[in-house]
Amino acid sequence: MTSSREPAVATDEVIRTAGLTRSFPMGSTTVHALRGIDLVIRRNEYVAIMGPSGSGKSTLMNLIGCLDTPTSGEYWLDGQPVAQLQEQDLAQIRNREIGFVFQTFNLLPRASALRNVELPLIYGGVPPAERKHRAAEALEQVDLADRMDHRPNELSGGQRQRVSIARALVTRPALLLADEPTGNLDSKTSAEIMVLFDRLHAAGNTIVVVTHERDIAERSHRIVTLHDGMVSSDEPHRRSRQP
Amino acid sequence: MNVVESTRLALESIWANRLRSFLTLLGVIIGIAAIIATAAVIHGLNRYVAEKLSNLGKGVFTVQRFGLITNRQQFLEAIRRNRRLLPADARAIEARCPEAEVVAWETHATVDLKRLDQEIRDTDCGGITPAILEIEPYDLDQGRFLVPGDEDRAAPVVFLGADVAERLFPNVDPIGKDLRVGGQQLEVVGVAVKKGSFLGFSQDNYVKIPYGLHRKLFGTGRSINISVKAADDARMAEAMDAVRAVLRARHHLRPADEDDFSMVTAEGINDLWSRLTQTIFTVAMFVVGISLVVGGIVIMNIMLVSVVERTREIGVRKAVGARQGDIVQQFLIESVLLSCLGGAIGVLIAFAASTALAVHTPLPASFPAWAPAVSFLICTLIGVFFGIYPALRAARLDPIEALRSE
Repeated sequence: MTSSREPAVATDEVIRTAGLTRSFPMGSTTVHALRGIDLVIRRNEYVAIMGPSGSGKSTLMNLIGCLDTPTSGEYWLDGQPVAQLQEQDLAQIRNREIGFVFQTFNLLPRASALRNVELPLIYGGVPPAERKHRAAEALEQVDLADRMDHRPNELSGGQRQRVSIARALVTRPALLLADEPTGNLDSKTSAEIMVLFDRLHAAGNTIVVVTHERDIAERSHRIVTLHDGMVSSDEPHRRSRQP
Repeated sequence: MNVVESTRLALESIWANRLRSFLTLLGVIIGIAAIIATAAVIHGLNRYVAEKLSNLGKGVFTVQRFGLITNRQQFLEAIRRNRRLLPADARAIEARCPEAEVVAWETHATVDLKRLDQEIRDTDCGGITPAILEIEPYDLDQGRFLVPGDEDRAAPVVFLGADVAERLFPNVDPIGKDLRVGGQQLEVVGVAVKKGSFLGFSQDNYVKIPYGLHRKLFGTGRSINISVKAADDARMAEAMDAVRAVLRARHHLRPADEDDFSMVTAEGINDLWSRLTQTIFTVAMFVVGISLVVGGIVIMNIMLVSVVERTREIGVRKAVGARQGDIVQQFLIESVLLSCLGGAIGVLIAFAASTALAVHTPLPASFPAWAPAVSFLICTLIGVFFGIYPALRAARLDPIEALRSE
């Protein structure tokens, strides 16, 4: 790890951002999507990022997920400064440190559940035998041990999302980053997925969920609300046990 | 990501779109099949020419009035300038060139052959001196060839090509039988072994008679082709120079004048032939090259379509850690595989076609052994050349945009 670089970061910080901004040129004007975000998320936190559309939460998620780089400001992911990295290195960071869970699952339609879960390991250079073993393990964690050879179109929506969660977990990333993970699911299946997130959190994973649904956000332990590209509130949430 | 993994992905993708893949490949398939079929025909012709057409042996050349003429201008020039070659020329060579071990000659006439109620029109009747046998051996099927005694006596005898014998003497032993050659009754003394046909032309449709008899029957004015065998194979060039000197002196040419005859060697025939086939080959390659370029463009097109269709997949791959190089590799391997698959099908078609040509047509097509390797190389180049742009486009997609696409 490159923790020797300053500023020194406490090892339990998975995310630290300082003055993070992101603006997009739009014709002759510039849209300031993020106007200076300071955020620290520690290991094994369960955080929801909320905000109305246009508040900048997608932009923040892309930056946290290393899919994009900030216009200015600093970002340390698991102690590594990543704000200035090139695409090549960002790809590697995404591979090792981040597990994405998407609203639309984003599974490869022609590949079996097992192959889909193997995908990050392929790019991580893990040898085939170990890959299969680890992918199968991840699928067991999400209770899909008996669906490994099914293709996405042979699975229900909830099962698909669980495959995508297994794919996110399989590299044992520092951060599980979920973007509206229940947006395409009915309420019963949503509840099941949220129970799975609780379980993963209890197992020690750090989870960030981006959502605009209040009841999903309330499953987390901390809700960060964005407004016009700034953090408007950041408070711990005592989560109720009832769904 | 390693190559095995990329190859597997590419095969999966090609197989998933098999009809489209096949249609995409038609250009390459046709191109490669056409290249190799053309090459097979030319390869076959070349082998045939090397083995059979230039049956001039080592150290042998012929002196002819016209020689190997490849254009009209040359031909008109030669008709104006070149004198007929006569037996006196041949005898002068015999007498004055120690470098020439054997000198023989032949002249030709077109005649009708007749036996009982059977007739063959327009057959080549060669008048030869028997020494020609020492230069261009004829394989004997039955009877005997013409001998010096026949020539000395201008004996009324005739030697037959296999076709003539088959057609005029079906189920009959022709030896000792009579045959009317250009109205003259001659006795058959021998029949040659069948040589087969070349480009659909029979090489067995001829008769040979003694030169003296030929003169008597068809006139003394015909130009002869003089065949010369050098005393020493290795010193054929010297023999040719000596023969040239004798003929130039006899024809009263001044030093500045060009030869008014021409000399043909086996090499000369082969050279002319390979110049001819090279031209054919070049033209064919150009035409076929166009179809390969079109094939390549079609591959590029389908790869671009594929990149658009799989934008989201590319986004997912990038999100889980694929680097640009991984994406380039994946798409490049796919286009190369696609192209090579087309090449392989093309090679198979060409193999079938050249075999069929050789069996069912007079073209002596022969499948060249280098064809698969060369096709593989060409197709790899096509795949890389036309695949690199789509692959780079895929690799440069912004993952955020790609994930958002429908």
